[in-house]
Amino acid sequence: MNMNMVLQSLISGVFIGGILALPVMGVALIYGVTGILNYSIAVIGTFGVFVSWTLVGHGLLVAVLGGIAVSFGLGFGLQQFIFNPLIERKGNDLTLFFIVTFGVATIVAGFTKVVFARPTISFQLPGTKFLTLEGVPINSQRLLAVCIAIGFLVLIWIFQKTTRTGRSLRATSQNLRMAKLVGVNVFLVYAVVSGIGVFLAFVGAFFWGALYNVTVSTGWDLTFYGYIIAIVGGIGNVWGGMLAAIVMGEVIAFAGNTVGGSWQSVVVYAVLFLILVVAPRGLLGSERSI
Amino acid sequence: MASILKVDGLRVAYGSYLALKGVSVTVGEGEIVAIVGANGAGKSTLLETVAGVLKLEGGVIEFKGEDIHRLAPHRRRKRGLILIPQEENLFPAMSVIENLQLGALLSNKESARNACERVYRILPKLDDRRRQTAGTLSGGEQRMLAVGMGIAANVGLLMIDELSLGLAPKVVSSLMGVLRTLRDETGISILLSEPSIKALDVADRVYGLEAGEIRFAEKADELDRDVIKKLYLGV
Repeated sequence: MNMNMVLQSLISGVFIGGILALPVMGVALIYGVTGILNYSIAVIGTFGVFVSWTLVGHGLLVAVLGGIAVSFGLGFGLQQFIFNPLIERKGNDLTLFFIVTFGVATIVAGFTKVVFARPTISFQLPGTKFLTLEGVPINSQRLLAVCIAIGFLVLIWIFQKTTRTGRSLRATSQNLRMAKLVGVNVFLVYAVVSGIGVFLAFVGAFFWGALYNVTVSTGWDLTFYGYIIAIVGGIGNVWGGMLAAIVMGEVIAFAGNTVGGSWQSVVVYAVLFLILVVAPRGLLGSERSI
Repeated sequence: MASILKVDGLRVAYGSYLALKGVSVTVGEGEIVAIVGANGAGKSTLLETVAGVLKLEGGVIEFKGEDIHRLAPHRRRKRGLILIPQEENLFPAMSVIENLQLGALLSNKESARNACERVYRILPKLDDRRRQTAGTLSGGEQRMLAVGMGIAANVGLLMIDELSLGLAPKVVSSLMGVLRTLRDETGISILLSEPSIKALDVADRVYGLEAGEIRFAEKADELDRDVIKKLYLGV
């Protein structure tokens, strides 16, 4: 592997990691605040991408806003009207919510297949350029995806540190009973956080559609990757998720450029396994923290 | 004296076990009321049910004349009552100032700032530790911060469950004095649950709770402390 290939893999890994970081942050944020693992967010986010694609004829801005509205709305609504009543009756039972959220994902995926005639979609974002860094070509869309992922991470950090709502989110994740007693409407907090989580998954799937193709199974792929990476980062830890996504992006890029083919997956999961053997609670620990 | 809180015939169960068997308690406006009893008497159950953390099987809870038994805890807080539980009563990864700001969550910015300044004046040790993470404070300081959150809340009724738990007698006396000062300055009503007779130093009226039932309700200065210690506090 020559230096050019190493540099190419490094840069490519950051881009892959940047896109994957978005659904991972969604998973981490939702688990960090609500204590439930929501397996439907990437599938709903992908549904939002299909909605965006049908609105492209009205302009890119309308398409994006439509997808955001649908994604956030579904995430908020499902949490408020289905998951919250279950939490109230049964607590945040991991097995129960695995079944329920997996079921929701299956329903949404089936609905997507039925409603949208075209099984494979992609976007062409305007103004795509190729820049070069040390002779390595860089797609500006990929750069934008990484910048947006980092930007959202910073925004989430600022939001939860400096705003009253952000303080309520942190309080809910640290001490649920005391949060209720000081006046936090925790179920509303859960719904808002779920909406944000699905929105992040939508953005990830949207950039996936801009760079590759999006099919119904993209939602399942992002779910699978999202959860594995979130566990490697430390489930519930937003910063850990971002770090793990970049690490996994690098592993995927280097494995693709060295062993390639079927061996790529073997190498990727072997590295994942090794990370969890050394750090069973994830790279930055699995304390529920946002 | 008008009542700010009226609990009548309260029944609370844990499964098939009836923890409160028809408890009736009132707290007047500007009054400090103490519930004394040994461990397991039902003191925490009473306060947590009034705050909305536990559901009742029967009875009435009226706050400022309104029946609140169906309201969620955050809505009871909005009405003007707050409970400081005996354990897990802080946000451990947040700083002292952030904890106090959460106590004053429902106030506007200026009222919240004034409330925090009042806490620093009454509990100056917290002023020295503003930026320190709550989880790294000593036990006494954490209890002080929890009380501070209750003060910052600026409510009509402040309920504190076992203020003296795990604290040195000197610290307990100091905190009891803070509560009396707070009541004298602001007219707040305070409901304390205590396993020690220290509560009698600051309370206006005292209820004795044993095995989920009220055994007596008297003015604090008319009670025989030795009888209380022997009968209800297991001493």
